[in-house]
Amino acid sequence: MDVFEKLKILSDAAKYDVSCSSSGSNRKSKKEGLGNASVSGICHSWSDDGRCISLLKILFTNDCIYNCVYCINRCTNDLPRAMFTPEEVADLTINFYKRNYIEGLFLSSAVYRNPNYTMELLGKTVKKLREEQNFNGYIHLKAIPGADKEIIEKAGMYADRMSVNIELPSSEGLRSLAPQKNKESILRPMNFINSRMHQSIEEIKTFKYAEKFVPAGQTTQLIVGATRDDDLKILKLSEGLYKGYKLKRVYYSAYVPVTNSPNLPAISSPPFLRENRLYQADWLLRFYGYNADELLDESKPNFDLEIDPKCDWALRNINLFPVEINKADYNMLLRIPGIGVKSAMRIVSARKFASLDFDHLRKLGVVLKRAKYFITCKGKYYGLKTMDGENIRKHLVSEIKGKESTNGIEQLSIFSLYPNLIINNNKTIVTGAFQ
Amino acid sequence: MIYYIYDGSFDGILTAIYDAYYRRETPEKIVSEDDFQESFLINKIYIKTDREKADKVYNAIETKISNQALKNVFYVYLSERTDRGTIIYHYLKLGWKIGIDIDLNLTNNNVLLLQNICQSVSKERHFMLGLVRFRELKNNILYAPIEPEYNVIGLIGQHFSNRISNENWIIHDVNRNIAAIYNKQEWIVIELEMNPTIELHKDEETYQRLWKEYFNNISIKNKVNPRLQKRNMPMKYWKYLIEK
Ligand code: SF4
Repeated sequence: MDVFEKLKILSDAAKYDVSCSSSGSNRKSKKEGLGNASVSGICHSWSDDGRCISLLKILFTNDCIYNCVYCINRCTNDLPRAMFTPEEVADLTINFYKRNYIEGLFLSSAVYRNPNYTMELLGKTVKKLREEQNFNGYIHLKAIPGADKEIIEKAGMYADRMSVNIELPSSEGLRSLAPQKNKESILRPMNFINSRMHQSIEEIKTFKYAEKFVPAGQTTQLIVGATRDDDLKILKLSEGLYKGYKLKRVYYSAYVPVTNSPNLPAISSPPFLRENRLYQADWLLRFYGYNADELLDESKPNFDLEIDPKCDWALRNINLFPVEINKADYNMLLRIPGIGVKSAMRIVSARKFASLDFDHLRKLGVVLKRAKYFITCKGKYYGLKTMDGENIRKHLVSEIKGKESTNGIEQLSIFSLYPNLIINNNKTIVTGAFQ
Repeated sequence: MIYYIYDGSFDGILTAIYDAYYRRETPEKIVSEDDFQESFLINKIYIKTDREKADKVYNAIETKISNQALKNVFYVYLSERTDRGTIIYHYLKLGWKIGIDIDLNLTNNNVLLLQNICQSVSKERHFMLGLVRFRELKNNILYAPIEPEYNVIGLIGQHFSNRISNENWIIHDVNRNIAAIYNKQEWIVIELEMNPTIELHKDEETYQRLWKEYFNNISIKNKVNPRLQKRNMPMKYWKYLIEK
């Protein structure tokens, strides 16, 4: 089988893996070598579905011994199988990288023969790239659940980021849909990667030449909608992963129906909108200072599909509004629908010089169609006649509906993935070459 | 109505600002000779670019305002807007008064305008980092044609010299006839006219085909969203993309 055929099969098999960011590492380029890893992350293209492409995302092989019910690669599924060699993966990566098609490699795999054997193959591939080809670009490597920690550690020495996919958010889910996996086999490598990362950070403080272990941290992916788990359970799990395991990101992937097993829900299309709500809520956890319990509770364990989690929160806490734009502190500004990190920062800057009016806010990038119900400017309120949550909700829903149906779901757009991109202008060296 | 006319260089703008200050004049506009439209009512003053004066202003921006201000001013210059000289002039005038906090003063329309221009330039620079596509030529040089809206080539050379430090490469701004070239040691910006027939390396086509194959494969067919794609990757940049 030639490389074209393999690339076709093994990129197809990897495309539902949603992680794509290449940020968070700053591997310096070495002379004689190829590549460096950029902290801010760079998208190189956007696929026809609008997702950013920054990495060559492939499986090493789709030939699996396991039989996870939700997975297209499960051993009982009849489909063409392929397997790269370490040389092929290295060659593709180098040649794509130097043409500036990609920022690096995202290498995952089905479980071939056994977890250790697969993990060793992945390790061999990244070792070849780093040591033989002198490649310094970004590498995101999957740790195979069930592999020994020595083997994971060896491979991890060459990676910028590692991830273990949790996939199913509960033990019951695993039991019914992925019987060969269990919570232990997933959390053990996660725990190991986390503690090994911290050990390496400590070592670097003491010994200058200590090696970095996955400097861009660890991520995971959860499938949404293949099990009965509600949004509250998923969001709590994410919160725990951010706090307890210091994960850099949790990715959510709407379950794409690939088979009809009695254990799977009968759905005709993937729950993309639900996936989108989880991304929005995850964003609120990481950058806006919310916690999961504020966003959902037992009486309302799932997100409202009509309205985004931040608007929803504001409406349920309507007694905190309206907020005076010229007085509210930064954290409160962030909680106003229609105000993002960038406009909140601009408001805080600008009001040091002059008290802001409605027109100023428009220029500073506030989405007034949304914000107006929740704010006052110099004491003046521009929203509806009464501060009535139900009524505001109606207006917001019609506003948001129009927007979402035209723009589609866009949690993977460049601006949401890299909030820093817009806030801090990239540092640039003025070379004077133009004189 | 006084207009200052400069030669179009960055040092030219800085010289004009120096002169305005020491002649205690307030020019209505600072325009480059290429952008200048003759008019009966205008009192023209031609500014002779003076490296020493320009350096003084350059250093004053750095010490009296901020590094960020220096960068802003340079980015606005690279935007090639016809009103760039005047915008920079007003920004610096306010900057001498306020100092380092100038960039917080977003209720000032000129400051806000300047920041928005900087953001557009910065955004295009970032786009270029991702969307430059090298083709390997027969003689192993990597060659990438680009047509950016702003004059950002000088802002991306450093990135590629770190990224692809072990190859020779050329990034060619086709419309401006300039190029950043790198010889495994250092990079410079030079004027360049390309020979229209360039010969590709024998493997080049293979990797282009592999990349297209990958690109088409990676999109999820039932989520196709051309509008989102175009918004993230404006069509004006598609011309030199292999995958489009
Ligand atoms: S182990 Fe992974 S690749 Fe194999 S069937 Fe399960 S989910 Fe699919």
